[in-house]
Amino acid sequence: MLMLVRSYFEWVNEFPSSVGIRESIYFYPALLTSHVVGMCVFAGLVIMMDLRLLGIGNTRTPISQIQRRLFPWQMFGMTVSAVTGMVLVYGQPMRFYGNIFFWIKVLMMLVAAANVLAFHLGAYRSVADWDNDVKTPFAARLSGAVSIVLWALVVMSGRLIAYNWFQ
Amino acid sequence: MVRVFFQWMNDLPFSKALGASVWQFATIQALHLVALAVFAGAVLIVDLRLMGVGVKERPVSEVARDAQPWLIWGFIALTVTGIPQMMQNAIREYFSFFFWLKMGFLLVALIFTATVRRTVTLADDGRVGAMRAKVVGLVSIVLWAGVAIPARLIGLFS
Repeated sequence: MLMLVRSYFEWVNEFPSSVGIRESIYFYPALLTSHVVGMCVFAGLVIMMDLRLLGIGNTRTPISQIQRRLFPWQMFGMTVSAVTGMVLVYGQPMRFYGNIFFWIKVLMMLVAAANVLAFHLGAYRSVADWDNDVKTPFAARLSGAVSIVLWALVVMSGRLIAYNWFQ
Repeated sequence: MVRVFFQWMNDLPFSKALGASVWQFATIQALHLVALAVFAGAVLIVDLRLMGVGVKERPVSEVARDAQPWLIWGFIALTVTGIPQMMQNAIREYFSFFFWLKMGFLLVALIFTATVRRTVTLADDGRVGAMRAKVVGLVSIVLWAGVAIPARLIGLFS
């Protein structure tokens, strides 16, 4: 399995377009900068939703309104970050393959996605009963706390990919 | 004069110690980015509302008052994690075009946020025209993007 992943990364590494991105002077900084801007929109607005779930921020706005109005912008930010992130990896596959922080980041994103899914299939279904409450049900608060911690870890490990201490 | 100040910061024992510890410096960079996310969220939730594309069911003043503590604490966290980074690389920053571009935008964004944006967001609903609110929201987003974008480029072009 690991060999399969490695050979896939090695295969992409040889693509002329991958080499092109790797050797570009301005494209790489542009990608990295767009990745951070997308992160600000996505993570920023996800955190605003999480603070509301925790009852410690944006408490005068009903949860369903925050969900409905911020969701399109969260998706916009996520799209920008996801696309630029994938191109960044495409441009330097072997650098990311051997970087522990990259894999921590990927893992944390998967767990964060599972948390979102669990929230929307679970606690959020009864939102009509607690839409205006400052103190939300335990499951909602738990989801908000888990989300903040996980996305903070995603952002932090993303920044730490620049360091290759464990290679 | 400015150069002397940056040279002084650069040579402080604190700056040197920070530069010697990769772990400490990297942790500060990572926390700076988390603070950025909180701050950006607190800016955007209000600016999107001003532009009529956010939580439009609520009055602007309520959204702004709710976001304010996170805006302020996010900014404090950014400053606390930002200053050590500047000190550790003071001479590099002094010669970086993007550093001064960031600081220029930061000054304008702070003044704009504390004056025009504050007046508009805290006004009673209906007292600010929709067009004016849209422009203020957009200008705020552009100014803060002007702070964040050059910041990412300081380390890449130096």
